[in-house]
Amino acid sequence: MDEIPILQGNTKKQRYESLVAAVYQDVYRYAFWLCKNQPMAEDLVQETFLRAWRSLESLQNDKAAKAWLFTILRRENARQYERYRPELVDIDGQSIAETDDNEPDSKMDRQLLHNAINRLESDYREPLLLQVIGGFSGKEIADILGLNNNAVMTRLFRARGKLKVEFGLDTVEIED
Amino acid sequence: MNEIEFRKRLYTNPLEVSQELLAAAGADPALQKILDQTRELETEIVALVNAVEAPSGLADKLMAITDTASTETELQNLGDVASKPAANNNFFQYYAIAASLLLALGVTFSLTFDSGPSSTEIAVGDDVLRHLYLDGFEIDEVNNELNTTIFGLPAINAVMAESGTRLVSNDLLQNLAIRSAKPCEVMPAFQSAHLIFEGTQGAVSVIVINNRPVSIEYSFHDERFNGIVVPMGEGNMVLVGENNEDLEQYKTLFADNIDWVI
Repeated sequence: MDEIPILQGNTKKQRYESLVAAVYQDVYRYAFWLCKNQPMAEDLVQETFLRAWRSLESLQNDKAAKAWLFTILRRENARQYERYRPELVDIDGQSIAETDDNEPDSKMDRQLLHNAINRLESDYREPLLLQVIGGFSGKEIADILGLNNNAVMTRLFRARGKLKVEFGLDTVEIED
Repeated sequence: MNEIEFRKRLYTNPLEVSQELLAAAGADPALQKILDQTRELETEIVALVNAVEAPSGLADKLMAITDTASTETELQNLGDVASKPAANNNFFQYYAIAASLLLALGVTFSLTFDSGPSSTEIAVGDDVLRHLYLDGFEIDEVNNELNTTIFGLPAINAVMAESGTRLVSNDLLQNLAIRSAKPCEVMPAFQSAHLIFEGTQGAVSVIVINNRPVSIEYSFHDERFNGIVVPMGEGNMVLVGENNEDLEQYKTLFADNIDWVI
């Protein structure tokens, strides 16, 4: 990922607001795919940015601000999950976001893909989402998840391999 | 390049493919087919995942955090309770849980207003009690005088380093016999340290959490224990003793002798 500074301004408030404007959509998207629930995702994002606001001075590298936020969000998600054990959600019934293509067959395929992504084990789904949503490099994903780069590459390989099998593009999963 | 190696490298990021992979695909129709299918699926994945849009108004709520958080800080500095956000904000949707916890645990606040700690903050006391009941044999050993170990400062600080803290003075240990010191998983996502010493009414636990889920000091109790959650420095300290144990003296003693080193 290109390291583009996204914090701008001289005051803490200006820097925080520029951070929000630049990344809140991606942060919400990731929260949504983690929680599989819009209200919980919204709460999670608010808690994440609250913590970010309170500890903005601790961010040592502005260029790593996005990865920093995603790390905070994952910790908050883990903490809230341990505390509240949310009710199991029928992920297959979750509505999906609309895209420009509204053909019925395409919509069915999107629902199938949506369900397939949600059925991936979190070990495989999370690196995939970090790469697709955040545009993070393998090293950045490794730092966020507390893994080494090889482990991240293996999990990305397995995630896509499983999705390809689910859609009949591969007959068997390719062993790493 | 064989097919397995081709897939391994392609699947790690199908939309950023090296020239080497492109050349291999160009030379082998089977690999080209794999490349085309994988890229097509990846395009669908990217479109689907990124089609999720944040709810309208979320950006405004996030921007407003600076105002709410600043108000909380100012009110706390005045010794008052921070105001809570609007009642219909999903950010505090768990007040129903908080109400039942209040009844079950008997939570009291050393505050002048009735808004008090949030449901998230109240749940910290609940988590600590649950942890003590699950891990209570060490407390029982101290209460039954079966544990005669006394931890010295180096051993204590080796454990407290897990929570990003340390005891700065040996003076505290002149008055207290620390019978147990170990890392703690009361909040699995964060490092914590759990010390147990002999209080006047039985074992007293001191749990130092490397995080700050609680911003307002409050006390809690159940049928057996009473506790205090204390925001301090970079994290929280929780003291828990038998119901008739006065914890205030220990709160000051530990607060004055714990430093955050991260």
